[in-house]
Amino acid sequence: MNHVLDIREVDRMKRTFTTAVVSVLILLFVGSVVAQEFSRGGTVVVGLSDRMMSLDPADHRHRETETVIRNMFDGLVTRTIKNEVVPELAKSATLIDPTTWEFVLKKGVTFHNGEPLTAEDVKFTFDRIITEGAIEYPEPHTSQRKGLTGPLESVEIVDDYTVRFHLSAPWPPALQMLVHQQIVPKDYLEEVGTKGFIEHPIGSGPFKFVEGKLDEMIVMERFEDYYGGADDLAPVGPAFLDRLIFKIVPEDSTRMAALRTGELDIIQKVAVHMIPILEDDPNIVVKTSAGTRPCWMEMNPNKPPFNDVRVRRALNYAVNVDLLIKKLLGGRGVVLPGSLSPFNNFADRTLQPYGYNPDRAKVLLAEAGWTDTDGDGILDKDGQPFTFVIDTIGRHKDKAEAVMGQIRDIGIDAIVRVWDYAVAKPLILAGERMAWVGDWGDSAFDPVGHFEAKWHTHVKGSPYGRGNFSSYSNPRVDELIEMGEVEPDVAKRHKIYDEAQRIIYEEAPAVFLFLPEEVEACSVSVQNWEPSPDSRINLHDVWLSK
Amino acid sequence: MSAVKILERILATIPIMFGVAIVVFLFMRLTPGDPVDIMLGESGYVSEGEIENLRKEFHLDEPIWKQLLLFLGSAVRGDMGNSYTQHAPVSSLIAERLPATIELAVGALIFGLVVAIPVGIISAVKQHSVIDRASMAGAFLGISMPAFWLGIVLILILSVHLRLLPVFGRIDYEAGLKEITGFYVLDSIITGNKVALVSTIRHLILPSLSLGAAMAAIVARVLRSSLLEILRQDYITLARAKGQIEFLVVMKHALRNALIPTVTVVGLQVGVLLGGNMIVETVFGWPGLGRLVVSAIYARDFPLVQWVVMIYAFTFVMANLIVDILYTCLNPKITL
Repeated sequence: MNHVLDIREVDRMKRTFTTAVVSVLILLFVGSVVAQEFSRGGTVVVGLSDRMMSLDPADHRHRETETVIRNMFDGLVTRTIKNEVVPELAKSATLIDPTTWEFVLKKGVTFHNGEPLTAEDVKFTFDRIITEGAIEYPEPHTSQRKGLTGPLESVEIVDDYTVRFHLSAPWPPALQMLVHQQIVPKDYLEEVGTKGFIEHPIGSGPFKFVEGKLDEMIVMERFEDYYGGADDLAPVGPAFLDRLIFKIVPEDSTRMAALRTGELDIIQKVAVHMIPILEDDPNIVVKTSAGTRPCWMEMNPNKPPFNDVRVRRALNYAVNVDLLIKKLLGGRGVVLPGSLSPFNNFADRTLQPYGYNPDRAKVLLAEAGWTDTDGDGILDKDGQPFTFVIDTIGRHKDKAEAVMGQIRDIGIDAIVRVWDYAVAKPLILAGERMAWVGDWGDSAFDPVGHFEAKWHTHVKGSPYGRGNFSSYSNPRVDELIEMGEVEPDVAKRHKIYDEAQRIIYEEAPAVFLFLPEEVEACSVSVQNWEPSPDSRINLHDVWLSK
Repeated sequence: MSAVKILERILATIPIMFGVAIVVFLFMRLTPGDPVDIMLGESGYVSEGEIENLRKEFHLDEPIWKQLLLFLGSAVRGDMGNSYTQHAPVSSLIAERLPATIELAVGALIFGLVVAIPVGIISAVKQHSVIDRASMAGAFLGISMPAFWLGIVLILILSVHLRLLPVFGRIDYEAGLKEITGFYVLDSIITGNKVALVSTIRHLILPSLSLGAAMAAIVARVLRSSLLEILRQDYITLARAKGQIEFLVVMKHALRNALIPTVTVVGLQVGVLLGGNMIVETVFGWPGLGRLVVSAIYARDFPLVQWVVMIYAFTFVMANLIVDILYTCLNPKITL
C-alpha cells in the first residue's frame, strides 16, 4: 500500500523541523556566549631568561626589557610577525618630503591614568630621547635609545593629533626603527619625575603596571579602556587576559622545568637539546620563528694567512654549514648566503651560499701556497704550519669548536680560545686577533643598525664598525653603506646594498655560517600566540583556552 | 666575655673593611675591560663627546689614586654611588636584594645544621654501624655534588616528576604577601598570612637543600671525628664510671667540646654559602645579591661590585666574630 503522508504527519514533521532549527540556533547562540566567557580571563606567566634593565621605554638597550615594555607601552607603529610595519597609535604615517615624516594620531586614546594621548606626548617622548642629558634620574644622562633615532632632529606639533618628525637627512628605515620607541605621558612624567615614573610606569598599552621588581617579576593587568591597538593585528579591542606576569628565570633547565609543571606558560630561548623533551609533552607546544642573530667566523684580512682572499674563500668551502645546523641547532636554522640574514628586507636573493666543497678548498689553498709538504696532516707554507686561534665567548664555544673540527679535516690546525667579552672586544677592534666566532642582532630587518656596525671600517666614536670584528675595511663598501643609509628610493637602495653584499661575499672576510631559528614554547592553553622574529611577546591578542 | 671586648672586635673590622675596599677597588680597575665601552657597547650612538662625558661622570678619567680617595671619601660618608648599568643608586639595588640572599643563606644554614648535627652525633656514637657508614657515604656525596647540579636534579625529581615542590622563585604571587622587611618568612608572620608563609617555606626548601648540602656534609664529618676523639678521653670514661646516663655523657660532656672545631668550620662555611649563593640563585631564579653581582662583574659595574663584595666581607668577618663568641660559651677557659 502506498504510504501517503497524511496531514498529521506533515504537521509533526513541520513541528519537529522547526523545533530542530530553533534548538540549533539556541545552542549556537548560547555556545557563542559561553565561548566568549571562556575566552576572556586568566593569567599568563612568561619566563624571561634575563632580568629587565628598566621600566622606562627610553632608558635601555635590551631585548627582554623591550619585550615586557611593549605590553604596557604602545608606539606610533608596530610590526606584524611577518615583519611588516603597521600603524599602532598613529592612524597614518606619511613621508611629506625626504626629510619629514607626518604622523596623524588616533583620537580617543588614553593612558592608564585616563589622560588623553596627544601630539604633546609624542613630542615630549622623542625630545626626551634625542636631547642630551634629558633623563635626570639618578644623574642627568642621555637616553640609551638615542642611537636608534637616526637623523631625527626635532618633532613639531602641528595640531593636537598631528606631529611632524624633522630629519637632518633622509632616513629610509625610519618606520622600522620607530617600532622600537614607545610613547610616554608628558604630564605624568613631568609631575612625578623619572624616579616616580619608573616606580610606577604609566603607558598606553593593553596592560597596565600593577607592581614588580626588575630582578624578579613584573605584574600587569588588563587596561579596560585600551583603544584597541593596531588595526592590522586582530582582534582589536581590550586584551583578553586579566593578568600578565613576567618572571625572571635565568637558568635554561629551570625555565623548561617550570613550563612542564605549569608554573610558566610561555618561555623563550629554548635550548636545542631540550626541544625533543618539550615536544613529547602533550601539554606543551614548541614554536619557532625566523632568527635575527646571524652567526659568522670573521677573519682578519690584515693578518697572514688571511690576507689572501683565496684562503678566506677556501675556509668558506671547508665548513659544512648544513651539518653544523643539523648537529648544533637540531636542524633549526638556515645557511647564511652572505653578510645579511636572508630575511632582511634588503638581502640579495641572488647570492648562493659557498657550499661545502672541501676539494675546492684544497685547490684554493694550494694556489695560495698551502700544501702538506711534510706529511703531518697539517698544511704548511715556507716551513710554517697553518695554525691559528679562534676567539669566541662562552655561548658560541660549541660553534667555534665545530668549525675547528671541520677545518682540521682539510689540514688547518686551529684552537679555540674562550674570552670574557669585555676583555676581548678592545683587542679585536684594534685588529690584534685573527678569527672571531660570534653573532650580531638584526631585528629591524633593515640593514641599518646591523650592516654599518659589522662591515663598515671601524671609526671610533661613531656607530660605524662598532661590531666589526674582522677589521675588514673596503672603501667602496663604506661608501655604499653610507649611501644606503640615506637613499630614499627603494629600488636604488636595493642596488646599493646588493653591490655591497656582493663585494663582501667575494672578499669573504668571514666564513658565513648560519642564522639560528628562535625557538620558543608555550602551554597548550595559550591561544593565538606566535613567536615574533624581533623577540616581542605580544600578549594583547592572546587568550587562554579552558 | 665582656661587652668591651666585643666592641673592640667590632671596631677592629673597620680597618679590615678598608683593606677589602682597597683590594677590590684595585682588582676591578686593573682587570682589562672598560665599563664605559661596555655600557655603550652595541648602542649605536657612540660619540667621542658622550664617551668623555660618561668617563667624567664616573671619575674614570682621573688617576687611580685619586679615584680611590674619592671612593673611600664617599664610602665614609655612606654614599654608595650609582650603578653604571642600572641607572639607580647602589644602596637601593642592594637593599632590595639583600633580604632574599640572607633568607636563602639562613635557610641553607638551618638545613645544614639540622641535618649535620644529629647525623654527626649518631655516626660517632654508633661508629662502624650501618647508620655510620650510610651517613658518611651520604656526606661524601654531599661534598662531591656541585650545588648547580644538585639543584637541577632536585627540581627534576621533586618538582617536575613528583610535583611536590615549586620549581623556582621565592613565593606564589597569588599568596598576596605584603612586603615589610623583605624577609618573606618574617613578613608573612607579621601580616598573619598563612598562605604566604606556607608558600615561602615551600619555595625555600629546594634552594636551601642545594646550597646547604655541601655544608651539611662537611659539618657532619667534622663533628663526627671530633666527637670520636673526645669520646675516648679519660674524663668521658670517668663520667660513665660515675653512673651518668650515656645520653647525657654525650650531649652534656662530649658535645660541648666537640662543637669547638665544628663551630669553626661553620663560620668558614658562611663564606662558602655567600659564594655558592650566586649559583643557586641563578638555578632557582632567586632574586638575590649573588645574581646581581655576577652580571655586575661582567659589565664592570665598579660601584655595585665593590659594595657587594664589601658586604660579603663584612658578613664573613661578623660570622667569625660570632664563632669566637660561641667559643667562650662552649669553653669558659677561652677568652676573646
